[in-house]
Amino acid sequence: MGKISYGRDEEVVQRMRPEPMTEAEAKAQDTIDDVEFEIFKHKMHMIGLEGKETTMKLGASTAMRFGDVAFGIFTAQGDLAVCATGIYHHAVLGQIPLKYIVKHLVEEPSVGVKDGDSFFYNDPYYAGVHNADMGLSVPVFHEGRLICFIGAAVHTGEAGGSEPGGTVTAAKSKYDEGMLIPPIKVGENYQLKEDLLNMFAAMNRDPRTMILDIKARLAATRIAQRRVLEVVEEKGADFVIGGLRKILAMTGQAARKKISRLNDGVYRQPRFLDTLGEDSGLVKIDLTVIKKDDQITLNLENSSPMLMDRPCNSYFQGIIGLAMVYFCGWLFHDLPPNNGLLEAIDWKFPDGSFINAKGDVATSIAPLVQITFTHGMFQSGARMTYATMPERSVASWFSGFSIPTFGGLNQFGEPVADITPEINATGCGARMDMDGVDAAGAFFATMADCSDVETTEADKPFLYGFRNYYNGSYGHGKRRGGAGLGYSLITHDTDYLLMGSHGGGSKFPTTQGLFGGYGLPSLFVRKVAHSNFKELLGESNVDLPTSLEHVYDGTSPETGSVSHGNISAVVEPSADGDVVYSYAGGGAGLGDALERDPEDIMRDLATDMVSEWAATNIYCIVYDKETMRLDVAATETARAAKRKERIASAKPYDAFVKEWEKQSPPQDVLRYYGEFPHPGTKALVA
Amino acid sequence: MTKLRITEYLDIDLSKEVWCCNRCDQELNSARKNYKEACLVTERNMADVHPPMVEGEAYSFMPDPDYCRLIEFYCPNCGTMLENEYLPPGHPVTHEIELDIDALKKRHADSAGLEK
Repeated sequence: MGKISYGRDEEVVQRMRPEPMTEAEAKAQDTIDDVEFEIFKHKMHMIGLEGKETTMKLGASTAMRFGDVAFGIFTAQGDLAVCATGIYHHAVLGQIPLKYIVKHLVEEPSVGVKDGDSFFYNDPYYAGVHNADMGLSVPVFHEGRLICFIGAAVHTGEAGGSEPGGTVTAAKSKYDEGMLIPPIKVGENYQLKEDLLNMFAAMNRDPRTMILDIKARLAATRIAQRRVLEVVEEKGADFVIGGLRKILAMTGQAARKKISRLNDGVYRQPRFLDTLGEDSGLVKIDLTVIKKDDQITLNLENSSPMLMDRPCNSYFQGIIGLAMVYFCGWLFHDLPPNNGLLEAIDWKFPDGSFINAKGDVATSIAPLVQITFTHGMFQSGARMTYATMPERSVASWFSGFSIPTFGGLNQFGEPVADITPEINATGCGARMDMDGVDAAGAFFATMADCSDVETTEADKPFLYGFRNYYNGSYGHGKRRGGAGLGYSLITHDTDYLLMGSHGGGSKFPTTQGLFGGYGLPSLFVRKVAHSNFKELLGESNVDLPTSLEHVYDGTSPETGSVSHGNISAVVEPSADGDVVYSYAGGGAGLGDALERDPEDIMRDLATDMVSEWAATNIYCIVYDKETMRLDVAATETARAAKRKERIASAKPYDAFVKEWEKQSPPQDVLRYYGEFPHPGTKALVA
Repeated sequence: MTKLRITEYLDIDLSKEVWCCNRCDQELNSARKNYKEACLVTERNMADVHPPMVEGEAYSFMPDPDYCRLIEFYCPNCGTMLENEYLPPGHPVTHEIELDIDALKKRHADSAGLEK
C-alpha cells in the first residue's frame, strides 16, 4: 500500500490552478526562443485539434459524435496546458483527475504509471460536471522520463444508475447515480484490460456505445502521443516540458492584463432554479462578481442550502468549470483555454450549500445547477464589459436544458440509452449590434452540432414529426435572441422504450434578458399518448402540424391522450406511436423592444421568425396584414403612446418596493430554498 | 468629456457623479447608488409579455406566478425600459452594478479633466 487514500480526496480538487513550477520547468524557461515557442504552441494546438476530431469520428454516443469533446495535453504535474474543445468547462476541470493520478498512482506500487498505461475516470467529484462526462488519459514517456499526459474527456450518454440517459432525476443519493469511478488504470502495455471493459459494460444500459467511446478516446490519445513524441525527438524533452509550462504561465499573465482593462466594481445577479429533480421548488444561487485591479472574485455566499435527498446539487469545482465557459468563450475568447486562466480568478463558496456539495448527496442534475449559475456570469459579464469591451457584452444564450432522455431497445432490438441532440441547437443571446444567431449551438458547447434528424432516426427508435425554428423560443428586444428549435419525437418501431426529460424553467424561466430585453417563456413537455400521428402520416395527411406554432393553433387533426408536464421528468414507458413535443430555447433579448427597427420586425414576419402577436403587442408596430406594408407614422405614434403609458402607470421606486416586498412565494415553493429572501446554508431535508 | 457610457441605457456623468439616461440625458441619481432607485417601476401582467399558449394548464409558456414575476424599470423622463428583472414575488430588487466611482474617476482623470 502506497499513497492510495480511500474515499474522496478533498485536497486534490482544490488544486485547480497551475502547480508551482518544477525545477526542470523553470530551468527551461530561459532557453526557449520566442519564435520557437510560437511554433511549438501552434504545433501542440494542432495535435489537440486532431485529437478532438479523431475522438468525434471514432465515437459512438450522440454527444461524442456531435462535438461534446475536450482533448488536451497536460504537464507531467497534471495541469492542462493545451485544450482543443468547444466544451470549455473541461479546460479547467480536466486536470483534476490527472493531478489525482500524479498524487496517488505514480508511486503506488500496486498501480504505478508506466509507458503504455491508460486511465479512466467519470466521478464528477474529480471531473466536475456529471458522471456522463467520462475521461481517459495516457502518460507520455520519453527514454523513461514522464514528459506529459494526453487525455480526452467526452460525454457518453449513459452512465448506469436508476434512470437511463446519464441523468437520474429522482436520485436520493449518489448511490442511485450509477458509475462514479475515480481515476483507475484500465490498460497496460498498450492494451485495454478486457475484464475491466466487461465490468463497465455490465454497469451500463448501452454497453456497445460505452466500450466504443472508451476505445475512441484511447485511439485518439495514442495518435496524439506519437505526434508529441515526434516533437520531443526534434526539440528535446526539456524544451517540451518547459514549453507546456510556458503556455500556462503566459495565459495567466494575459488573463490578468485583460481583466485590468475592465472597470472596478461589484456586479450582482441572483439566480433562481425551479426544479429539485422529480419535483418543483425554488432554490437560489446568489452570485456577486467583484472586479478589482487584475483579479475577479466570484462570491457565492448566501446561496441555498445543500439538498440532502434530491439531485439538485453541484460540486464547487463544477461551478468553476461552468464559470470558465463564460470566461473562455467570451471574455478570454482570444486566450488559450487552460487552467492558467484561473490565476486571474478567485472564488468563495459557503460550506453547506447546494453549490458546494459534500458527502453522499446526489448531483445528477448538477449540469442544470451549473448552467443556472453561468447565466449569472453572462449577465454580470455583460454589465462588466459594456463600458470597455462592448463587443463582448452579450445577452445570454439559452441557459436551461431541454433534453429528452431515453433508454430501451431500438428498431433493431439492440439496447440504447442516450439523449437526443437538440440541446446543441439553441439560440445565441442578442448583442448590442446584432440579433442572436438562430439555432447556433449550446453556449457550453459552441462547436457541437445537433445532427441531422435522419442520423438520429437511423439507430434510435424515433421519427421526427418536424424539427425547425420556433419563433416563441427566444427573448424579444431591440436585438432579439436567436431562435431555438421546436420539435416532435414519435416513438417508433420499438417494443420497449422509457422516455424522460432533463431541464429547468417550467415555472421560473432559466434565461433572463439584458438591458431591458426580455427573457424566455417557460418550457414544458407536451405528450400525446395513443396518438394517431403515425396513422395520419401513413395517409399523407397534409394537416399534421409542421411546427410548434401549429401544434397550439387548434388546427392539428391529431388525437390522443394529451398531457402537459414539467421539463424535468423521470422516465416513463413510451409506447410505439406516442408523441412528445418540446423546444430547445432561444437566446435572450437585449434592449427595449420599442427600439427594434420596424423593418427588422417586418423581415421576421415575412420569414415567420416572429409572431403577429409579438409584432403588435411587444414591438408595437403597425402594419397592413394583407399587404405586409409597415405604417411608419402609426408605428411611431403607437410606440410614443406606449412610453407615455409606462410613465403614467409605473410607480416611483420607493412606493413600488413598499408594496412589492410584502409578498413572498408560498412556503411549499420555498421548502428547500432556505430563509427567504436570503437563504442560509444549513443543509435541509424537506 | 465627463460622461461615460456604462450600459446600453446608462451613462455616468463623472464630474457630477450621477447616473444619466443615455437616450434623453435625464439625470437619475448618485452614481454611488442603485440607479433603479431613480426609475419608475412596474410589475407586468405576465400574460402581456409571455402569453400562455395552452389555456387552463399548469404548464404553458407563461411562468408560474408563485415562482416568478416580471418587474420593469423605466426612465422617468422618456419611458425607455432601462432594465427588467424576473424575480420571485417579494424578492428584493437587485443592485446589479455598483461601480467603484473613485477608481473610475482615477482612470478617466485625464480625459475628464478631473484631479488625479
